[in-house]
Amino acid sequence: MAATSMAAALAASLPAAPVAPTTTVPTYEAIPASMAKVIDIEADIPLTCVQLDGLVVSKIIKHAREAPSTTAHGLLLGLDLDGILEVSNSFPLPHHGGDDDDKSAKSIARHQASMLRSLKEVQADDSVVGFYQATTLGAFFNQTLVDTQAIHQDKLRHGGIVIVHDLSQTARGNASFRAYRLTAAFMDAYRKSNFSTSSLINHRLTFSSILEEVPLKIRTNPLLSSFLGKLSASSVSKESEGTPESGESALGRSFSVLDLGSGGVTKNLEQMVEAVDNYRTEEGNLSYLARQIARERAKADNYIAKRKEENQARVAQGLAPLPEEDVSRLFKIPAEPSRLESLLLLGQIDAYGTSLGGAASTGLVKMYAAKAGSEA
Amino acid sequence: MSLGPSSSAIHIQSSSSGDGSHNSSRAPTKITIHPVALFSILDHYLRRTDSQDRVIGTLLGTRTDTEIEVKSSFAVLHSETSEQVAVDMEYHRTMYELHHKVNPKEVIVGWYSTGSNLNTYSALIQNFYSQETAPHQAIHVAVNTGAEEGQEADVKAYARRVPSKLSHHPCSDNFSHSAPVGVFPKPENCIFVPVPVELRFHDAERSGLDLLATTATSSTSTTGQPIADLEILERSIHSVSDMLDRVLTYVRAVLTGEQKGDQAIGRYLMDTLGASTDDLEKGGFNASLQDTLMISYLANLVRSQAEVSARLALTAAS
Repeated sequence: MAATSMAAALAASLPAAPVAPTTTVPTYEAIPASMAKVIDIEADIPLTCVQLDGLVVSKIIKHAREAPSTTAHGLLLGLDLDGILEVSNSFPLPHHGGDDDDKSAKSIARHQASMLRSLKEVQADDSVVGFYQATTLGAFFNQTLVDTQAIHQDKLRHGGIVIVHDLSQTARGNASFRAYRLTAAFMDAYRKSNFSTSSLINHRLTFSSILEEVPLKIRTNPLLSSFLGKLSASSVSKESEGTPESGESALGRSFSVLDLGSGGVTKNLEQMVEAVDNYRTEEGNLSYLARQIARERAKADNYIAKRKEENQARVAQGLAPLPEEDVSRLFKIPAEPSRLESLLLLGQIDAYGTSLGGAASTGLVKMYAAKAGSEA
Repeated sequence: MSLGPSSSAIHIQSSSSGDGSHNSSRAPTKITIHPVALFSILDHYLRRTDSQDRVIGTLLGTRTDTEIEVKSSFAVLHSETSEQVAVDMEYHRTMYELHHKVNPKEVIVGWYSTGSNLNTYSALIQNFYSQETAPHQAIHVAVNTGAEEGQEADVKAYARRVPSKLSHHPCSDNFSHSAPVGVFPKPENCIFVPVPVELRFHDAERSGLDLLATTATSSTSTTGQPIADLEILERSIHSVSDMLDRVLTYVRAVLTGEQKGDQAIGRYLMDTLGASTDDLEKGGFNASLQDTLMISYLANLVRSQAEVSARLALTAAS
């Protein structure tokens, strides 16, 4: 499958001579290694999967936990091979409180360049393939994420990906990583920076069609696997000896999933209410603007109609008609508001709802399990 | 959990520094390592060039009086030949500044190398890092990756006794064994004293490690994401029920007299299984059942509202 697509890509990208080996021997579809180096075939193979290295997993989790609130973000490094984007390393980017946007952007760019240069010197991968973002309760939809990803998608090969790491879910015992990229429809609308109602309809955009999820796999390299095996083995042998282990250091099974506490649910509810409030405010703004547009437009229409009537009267009286003035100069009709913000807010609400639903369903299971345990 | 099998040697050291606690305030008695630092070291080792026997790098972390917590690490360029050793100091400084900008709390605490052989070069590099961490001591973490045949993966940590510190203390006689070696104190002569080392991570990070551990044991070394919450819950409940079974067989064996009962285990079991479940029994269960169902209902309601709202926005054109 991969070989055929590579061959097809090759055939498309090259005119005559290099295709010769594949055409003369029709059954032989593999590409000579020497040619694979000459042509960048990988760029033509669509991305089907993202593979996250164990190192990156732990790096992201650490950064996300230590950074204040959900500001943790950083760059992903790696390379793409045969439709699989292998993310092999990552580094965090400094967080800047939005004091001086221009300056901070420059210093981040400098940081990034210098880090990439340094990593290259120790034979680490140094091509940026996307970025990661920490979030809580699944609500990662926001303007910055979309903006950054849009820039990446234009610049990087394969458009780059964003990996979203959910802190609250990880704390609940299920380390969660998801890979996304923006859909073609959204990119089109974004490039035109047009999120008016008509544009949304043309692109059929709802919050669920802003991002598309890319399948994600976690991989540990053999060295890491053996090391982890060693770690878990030593902790298991200790447990069987019956020595009480301090909770924070053993690499044994964790049971934070079984925690019955419902503190997270309250926070989740609060945030959902907040998001709904924000959405209401945004909708209020939008409808205010819509009313204003309608009012101005009615005024303009009135004016034109009046002028036409007047002109007809004048023509009937045999006078020269008054010139049809440019209405847009007389009446300022405001531009149609962007609905992107409300779209993103809806996405947030949906995400909060999903994580709340998940928490409730696992909560039910846990409650019944605890009940069964207490009755037995 | 202590890393590596050499715990007996480590214990000797920690007790000896306990005896001399009145004069060794600056010597770390315990070193903890965050998994990220270890994994970075392993990754660096994987990416070494053919000519490199071992790789070295800088350890970043925080320190208290007696404990050093290694939180992350980065690779540093170095070259070793039979005649000389060179560490790219420029590179080390740049990388440190980059890391410092993102995480200002982490400072240089020492250095790591792969392979467990300590040699003259180790002492020289140690000398260099001691200058970086002054006035504190630098620590050295030797990670044996277990990649070579006949060697097991383990982690050892060392601190070096600083001669100048000892000379300030009247009781330094206790520590005669850790004075600089040789007739003249030279940077390449020193004793690396083993220090107990533990793996430490935050509770919230454990699920990530669990994820990696499951990945490592799977045959392809890969796992798909995302995993449903319920699946993980199921796994946990299964393992709890397995443990209960194990306890049950043990208790039965004790009751029938096949096995001699251990009082300590009995007390642990008493404490664990005797936990009060009054809350659940006194109607608390039904109340919270209703709450949870309500929340589930609410969540679904909100989601469908959001969906409807998004669709309506598409049709509202006139």
